Amino acid sequence: MKALLVERLVHRFAAARVAALVAGSGSGIGIGPLRLSEIEQPSLPGPSWHRVAPLLSGICGSDLATLDGESSRFFEDIVTFPFVPGHEIVGVVLDGPETGRRVVVEPVLSCVVRGIEPLCPSCAAGRTGACERIAFGGIRPGLQTGYCADTGGGWSDELVVHEAQLHLVPDTMSDEAAVMVEPAACGIHAALAGQVVPGERVVVLGAGTLGLCTLAALRCHTLPSTLLAVAKYKVQRHFAAEFGADDVVAPSELGRAVRRMTGTLALARTGAAIDRLAGGADAVFDCVGSSRSIAEALEVVRPGGRIVLVGMPGVVRVDLAPLWQREVALCGAYAYGTESVPEGPRRTFALAFELVEMVSLERLVSAHYPLERYEEAVHHAANAGRRGSVKVVFDLRHEDPAWRRAAQVAAPKRRVPRDDKKLETSA
Amino acid sequence: MSPRPGFVLEVDRSTPPTLFWHGEGFRFEQLPEGSRVVYPPESLDGLADPDAAIRHALEHPVGDSAPLSALLKPEMRLTIAFDDVSLPLPPMRRPDMRQRVVEAVLDAAAAAGVDDVVLIAALALHRRMTDNELRHALGDRVFDAFAPHGLLLQHDAEDPAALVHLGLTEQGEDVEINRRAAESDLLVYVNINLSAMDGGHKSVATGLASYRSLKHHHNVRTLQHSRSLMDRHHSEMHSSNWRMGRLIKNAGVKIFQIESTLNLDMFPSQFSFLQKREWEWSLADRAGFHSTRLALDHTPPRLARQIFQSMLSPYAPTSVQAGEVEAVHDLTLENLHRQQLVAVEGQTDILTMGLPYLSPYNVNSIMNPILVACLGLGYFFNLYRGRPLVREGGVCIISHPTPWAFNPVHHPSYIDFFEQVLADTTDMFEIEKRYEQQFATDPWYIHLYRTSYAYHGVHPLYMWYWCAHALDYLGGVIIVGGDRAAVRRMGFKPASTLADALEMAEDIVGRGPSITHLHAPPLLVADVS
Amino acid sequence: MSVRLPRIVDEVVSRPTWPGTLPRPMEPRNIGVDYDTAWTRKPWARALRRVLVDNVTRPFVAVVATPQVFGREHLDPLEGPVIFAANHSSHLDTSIVVACLPERFRRRTVVAAAADYFFDRPWKAALWSLALGTIPMERNKVSRKGADLAASLLTERWNVVIFPEGGRTRDGWGQEFRGGAAYLAKRCDVPVVPVHLRGVRPVFPRGSSTLRRGKVEVRFGDPLRPGQKVASGKEEDARHFAGRIEGAVALLADEAESDWWSARRRAAAGETPAFRGPDASAWRRAWALPASARRTRSVRSKSSAKPW
Repeated sequence: MKALLVERLVHRFAAARVAALVAGSGSGIGIGPLRLSEIEQPSLPGPSWHRVAPLLSGICGSDLATLDGESSRFFEDIVTFPFVPGHEIVGVVLDGPETGRRVVVEPVLSCVVRGIEPLCPSCAAGRTGACERIAFGGIRPGLQTGYCADTGGGWSDELVVHEAQLHLVPDTMSDEAAVMVEPAACGIHAALAGQVVPGERVVVLGAGTLGLCTLAALRCHTLPSTLLAVAKYKVQRHFAAEFGADDVVAPSELGRAVRRMTGTLALARTGAAIDRLAGGADAVFDCVGSSRSIAEALEVVRPGGRIVLVGMPGVVRVDLAPLWQREVALCGAYAYGTESVPEGPRRTFALAFELVEMVSLERLVSAHYPLERYEEAVHHAANAGRRGSVKVVFDLRHEDPAWRRAAQVAAPKRRVPRDDKKLETSA
Repeated sequence: MSPRPGFVLEVDRSTPPTLFWHGEGFRFEQLPEGSRVVYPPESLDGLADPDAAIRHALEHPVGDSAPLSALLKPEMRLTIAFDDVSLPLPPMRRPDMRQRVVEAVLDAAAAAGVDDVVLIAALALHRRMTDNELRHALGDRVFDAFAPHGLLLQHDAEDPAALVHLGLTEQGEDVEINRRAAESDLLVYVNINLSAMDGGHKSVATGLASYRSLKHHHNVRTLQHSRSLMDRHHSEMHSSNWRMGRLIKNAGVKIFQIESTLNLDMFPSQFSFLQKREWEWSLADRAGFHSTRLALDHTPPRLARQIFQSMLSPYAPTSVQAGEVEAVHDLTLENLHRQQLVAVEGQTDILTMGLPYLSPYNVNSIMNPILVACLGLGYFFNLYRGRPLVREGGVCIISHPTPWAFNPVHHPSYIDFFEQVLADTTDMFEIEKRYEQQFATDPWYIHLYRTSYAYHGVHPLYMWYWCAHALDYLGGVIIVGGDRAAVRRMGFKPASTLADALEMAEDIVGRGPSITHLHAPPLLVADVS
Repeated sequence: MSVRLPRIVDEVVSRPTWPGTLPRPMEPRNIGVDYDTAWTRKPWARALRRVLVDNVTRPFVAVVATPQVFGREHLDPLEGPVIFAANHSSHLDTSIVVACLPERFRRRTVVAAAADYFFDRPWKAALWSLALGTIPMERNKVSRKGADLAASLLTERWNVVIFPEGGRTRDGWGQEFRGGAAYLAKRCDVPVVPVHLRGVRPVFPRGSSTLRRGKVEVRFGDPLRPGQKVASGKEEDARHFAGRIEGAVALLADEAESDWWSARRRAAAGETPAFRGPDASAWRRAWALPASARRTRSVRSKSSAKPW
């Protein structure tokens, strides 16, 4: 079968890293560790596992970081090479009782998936994202589908998925909407991790897929008095306003905008710009994850406020003096699990399905690519904002190999993707 | 040759191109045949001995007032208030008129042995003046005698302890002014009356007032009905000030008003072409203009701004009058009109104007887009008496680079106003309703206004309101050569050339429109019949 | 990354620490009023000072202040030692007085200078005491140390320059003359020459850091001798003598602003303008200042660039 494969080739990672540094993210794809290969289909690790053929598979920011060779070495022990990336997956089940049904994959490879009994304390509490056994059990180490050599990933014709990872997609939901469920779940988890009290003033830094999902989740699940979004590109500004930001500003206006929003005093040593706010926002969601964005978050958060790192950071260089002096809480928000919402504990993915439908998140899917044109796809994803896009996905619906026809897929009639018609009709 | 009055030129095919101001630069435009150009009068001769004229005015006051020397007693509290850095424009060469007048008043006070004297810069909600600006306005002698002892104050409209509420006018307007000024035995106000808008009761009722008081006349409704701001008898803003002024008088505040008018000698000799008519330019003028224009085209904006901002005007005073406020102001207007009035027959479809680098609110600073709008639509548009130069529904074409640039020290709230409010709406009533309170009470703006050199938080809104009459009246505003994003942010149309702007204007006023160009500065007031 | 010295070097260079169990005696301070200036009166230092004064101080003063000297004839009959008592408006006064003294006095003169300005750091103390022959004088605290030194120098036939106001003027007007000069004169029985400096304030006023060229006038007056009999028949005290010195300087000030004859006539009529200015509010005192004492300079304010 066809798959995009990441192998442990140190020199290729290094080359990608250099290319990314010199020419920007996504430029090193040609010389990087990713390549299109013909590989054996992954074998089923156990009885509760099923084969799934991806329909759409998104390109996530963390994938880009991996391909740019910028991922933290922290992940070295919790991924296994060679792996097929892709964890934002909507696909069709190829065997078992649900054959032919569309599903969204919840990619975390937690205790249940790994066949570990008894469950680790985190999994027992429903916090599967914080599973302590991601390197143990029946399959090889890997924090998610898409980082584990045994499961395969979304950027291929086929992968294996544990039944606990499967979420059936309602027939009324389009593939584009379904592929947004995974990022939406991340956004919900982050929004709720911020523990926003009604009436608080909240800032969301970054308006890529994750930033927009977090923004939408904050609007739906919390009651901030003001929600300020920082967006770099026009398309992001548009969606940020659509998803309920009270004010959308450019990164250069952040300090002034937060000062205005909170009415706080400020210091301006140089007279040129605001250097430091006396107060600030109650909670800041950093959906970028760079040194610069963390520093910005520290600049605009109030004393005693909270910063939630939603975007994946790596090795960053940040002045933590304000964190210390202003007693700021800095916490991460990774993946999903179980959320406590007013109506009781619920799976993040269940909430995500609702959010996707509520705000029509499928609008964020802006471009489709076949696997063969992965270089273009990754480059597009890395420059999505600049090119007026948000989410770039691999479209595997036109692959249509003989074994799929044999499975007699009874999928509902699907809409032709709107934005990138010329790309797809030719495929 | 005695100075010639202003006049209206009809452009024909032999008329040379017309000079347009364009920020820190100029444009040289050939206006269509049949257009009219309103030229200001030539500068009158200044007073031969200004100091003697000042002394004479102080001892021979007009209206119901005793001579200054008779009003001064050793044990009294004397407060001298003076106009701030927004006057005159451009700043005057030393000695500034304020210095001459204040020194004369102080000589009288010293002779009378008055110990308790305080000087107050009547800032209203403007930025505080720097020490150098105060020194320039008042002279070294006054500055060194008062500033080191804390006797040279700047009005602080946000210090509750330094304000006193004198009551409500018959229309329910709060009158709250500087406490020291109100509680003095004599308040001497030293004006420079550059335009007919300044002076009179507006001096104290606006210059020394607080936001609580100012909001009664600095609001959209009042300014829409100030037609024009240069004609106090038809200006709601002035009516309100006059009501307040009379209340201040009835509250027992004794004011000795000193107003002075300047001639139109606005620019130093190397820029003399700015004060001449194009067809009378000498070889030196032509060389001067074209070399200046070429040089400015290749000068970085920052440097050009510095060059222009350091220009000092050779103004000479044409009259000084002192005494009771209203009598003084009537005399002042007479003297102003003697210099500035130009008779114009009939209105026009399209009014064009070139805006200079300077407005009252960006001395030693950057002319940001809001100030461009304010100068063009608030001031220049209002340079009329009777009827506006342009007909109702007509178009105003403004030439100015309108850079998206702000001075963060002087205009911090302008940035927020431009980034936040104008991005949301340009509708004045909407802005007044939704944003005025927030900008007027933001503690940071208040802090900066009181301790730094920032205009008050609400000031950018006032500047926007200043355009109320024009925006209510005009059919469209086009800015030539401006930053497109900035122009569009304000709801105006950008054009790259005057010809394009005239084409665009035809869409609004119809084909074959009449065009009038306001050839200012030097300042003039069009008396439109 | 810190670079450690080799241990042997470290032990030589670094001072050993004092055991915490032992009391630590106060070490003598050689700074401020305690600064020992004896070395500056050694022959080699005097020779060096002579070179410095002639080649640096005097040309500098000539360029910056262009001093004009009047009344030098009053010094001719004096042999010394003498106390010069001058009004004080600028740190430049010290240099100007030294530069304008006749040579025979200049070579053997010390200047009582503010210990907290001229002697606050070792290098400044050494520089000024060498270059101008300053000796430290406390102006805030009462200390006999400075006075004793001055007295012993007077007996060693050194001339002493003193600014009896005890500090530079703040507003341009004179301040009360303190008793130091008068006390020294009485104690050592030496004459006091009143000196008036006019126009130094515009050149280098208090609080300024830049010089502006100007024209300075230096006037020497008739020497005064202590011990005048007062009404009660007793000899005057230091306080009274100080008043006389102040009056003499005030007379010189009047002379500087008008002319010798009218100043004399006003003095005879008891109408010499008050040395300390009119007794009125601050602004009127400032308003009444003669132009030569005004502080006319714009302080370059950085305020327009700095928001606060």
